[in-house]
Amino acid sequence: MRKIEGKSAVRLNKTLATKSVAVAAITALLGVTSACGSDNEDAGGGPDKAEIVVWLNGADTPDSARTWLKETFEKEHPGSTLTIEQQEWEGLVERLTTALTSADQTPDVVEVGNTQAATFTTVGAFSDLSGDLADLGGDDLLPGFVEAGSVDDKTYAVPYYAGSTYVFYRKDLFEKSGITEIPATMADFVAAAKKLKQDSGQADFSGYWLPGKDWRDGAAFLWDAGGDFAAPEGDGWKATLSSPESITGLEAFQDLYTSASGAPADANESDPVTPFCAGKIGMMSRPGWVQGMLTDPESGCPELAEQVGVFALPGSDGEPAPVLLGGSNIAISAKSPNQDLSRDVVALMLSEDYQTILAEAGLTPARESYAAKLGDDEFAQATIAAASNAKLTPPAANWATVEGKFVLEDLYSKIAQGGDVKKLAAAADEQIDAELN
Amino acid sequence: MTRPAARRTSLPLGLVLPATALLALALGYPLVRQVVLSLQEFGLAQQFGQPPAWNGLGNYRDLLTDSELWVVVLRTVAFCFVNAALTFGIGLGLALLMARMSRLVRILAQCGLLLAWAMPVVAAMTVWQFLFDTQYGVVNWLLTRAGGDFEGHGWLLDPWSFFLVATVVVVWMSVPFVVFTLYAALTQVPEDVMEAAEIDGASPWQRFVHVVLPAIRPVLLVVVLLQVIWDLRVFTQIYTLQKAGGVSADTNLLGTYIYTLGIKGGDFGTAAAAAMFMLLLTVVLTAPYVRLMIKQEED
Repeated sequence: MRKIEGKSAVRLNKTLATKSVAVAAITALLGVTSACGSDNEDAGGGPDKAEIVVWLNGADTPDSARTWLKETFEKEHPGSTLTIEQQEWEGLVERLTTALTSADQTPDVVEVGNTQAATFTTVGAFSDLSGDLADLGGDDLLPGFVEAGSVDDKTYAVPYYAGSTYVFYRKDLFEKSGITEIPATMADFVAAAKKLKQDSGQADFSGYWLPGKDWRDGAAFLWDAGGDFAAPEGDGWKATLSSPESITGLEAFQDLYTSASGAPADANESDPVTPFCAGKIGMMSRPGWVQGMLTDPESGCPELAEQVGVFALPGSDGEPAPVLLGGSNIAISAKSPNQDLSRDVVALMLSEDYQTILAEAGLTPARESYAAKLGDDEFAQATIAAASNAKLTPPAANWATVEGKFVLEDLYSKIAQGGDVKKLAAAADEQIDAELN
Repeated sequence: MTRPAARRTSLPLGLVLPATALLALALGYPLVRQVVLSLQEFGLAQQFGQPPAWNGLGNYRDLLTDSELWVVVLRTVAFCFVNAALTFGIGLGLALLMARMSRLVRILAQCGLLLAWAMPVVAAMTVWQFLFDTQYGVVNWLLTRAGGDFEGHGWLLDPWSFFLVATVVVVWMSVPFVVFTLYAALTQVPEDVMEAAEIDGASPWQRFVHVVLPAIRPVLLVVVLLQVIWDLRVFTQIYTLQKAGGVSADTNLLGTYIYTLGIKGGDFGTAAAAAMFMLLLTVVLTAPYVRLMIKQEED
């Protein structure tokens, strides 16, 4: 009798052990198993009162705009609330992938990077906004962004704001190094960056701050040399990082990183404030709203910020360089139960009042006719000049997975570490081809 | 005294059923779903409601012919064994030491270990990231002070040094559990047997090998088994470190590899197939321990 008991206990132990092993392996896939939705409700409708959740990314949207949106919406919709949840840009694609699939947990309105929009619009993650397009601004909306949010003549994500990075520089350091004129060409710019670094005599000082993983700003050097990430070929896409022009551009990035940047080769561009306020940056490419972070008396350094001047990165031909056309789209989660209220939120975010607040913070408004609201100071001029020649990443449906898998972060970081550019570019081409086709 | 037969069989069944149903639902459903998923072409579009297409063993074929999987598997197994061995060695050493500590020192040591064990992983990772930061990290500062050339040294750049940092973090987090468990086991070693061994002239090493180790063997086996499983599925530490720096493609372990395939890359079918593979690997690696445990209970 005892023997038998022992055996069954053993068996129980065994099954338990095997099962706990199984659980262990599955944990990694929890996100997948919990997300299974086939209930495709029709667009439109929803309750009159609800708690609306809006996802905004990074610190891009100024606080004043957030407050305005919350107060205005809640005033116009008594009984409803609006909560803004800030998401980090880094890892946004993965968070959207998991959150948008669950009707219980999805945010109602989401901001998505313009280059990431296609990945979600092509799979039906967002509600169709084609019918509202005319009310939201119609042809006045930034065309490149409407295109980025559209599939087969239907628009699922509308422009939110645009903005390209431009160069912030320290006037006092320019003076110290005897650089009297703002660089007019790429060659001047590179020379100035190297000189600032040399004159500082510090290893961690950046004449031009270029963290190794910052491919978004690194793209300008690729494009300036005539290269690109990928080009259409037949029905699909062909990665072109190995083309002679691209190699030249990537080598220019490597040279600039090696001789002018003091940022870590495996860091990204998310925190420019700490090194800038430590006095370790001569020049850096950042979007306009970073100025607000620098002048903030609590988190920034107003005294150093007074020395900031800005200009658009010059290209080899003396015109503004082709920098990445940054910006965002907004969309409504198709699984959100509050379709009507969400549409009202989107309308508010494209309203003249709200877009004016964005423009005053240095973001290019979503409607062309509002561009004048940027003003005409140094920052506005740099914004407009930078945008004049800005470029987009390849408009392939799967581009966001290239970004999501950090293919370009890894490539640029390895180049910054001094790797063989040709070999690395060929390997990245292979990965990009596999993702895009 | 005779009772109806039906009554005798239905009560135990009724008692066992809820537990079985719960187990089947909580453990069985995800497993079945995962197997099904691994046989389908399941991408982002399917996540949002389109019907998936059956792919047979296509996902498995793609995976097994991809050299990256094998590199990741080798890396994972190596990382698992190094970490499990280190954790176990340090843990056993500390447990033995603890048995000889005075009461006050022991309580202090236990508090310290408990804090490390109770710290949420993400919070701990933030601190570790600060410590190993390239520009402002205290590790670089200290090493530079000590005369090394560590100014601006990127700890996460090189995969080897990335895993060195990961090992330090993972071992730091797992050692307390081993110490507490083994210390508890050590207190159960019969005093009289130890004394008898000493009187018979056994050296401390002989006493340790022939008396202490056999006495705590059941606990040792469980600890090793758990440690191997935990170190195989390590995820958060690697994921956070990859975000802090380093090249993610060169530092993926199975956990982050599956996450990259599924959540980041939107290919859930292949990710499920990779997870099945990980399950198999866990079973294969832990089978010897499970067998030992079963044999031990039978004896």
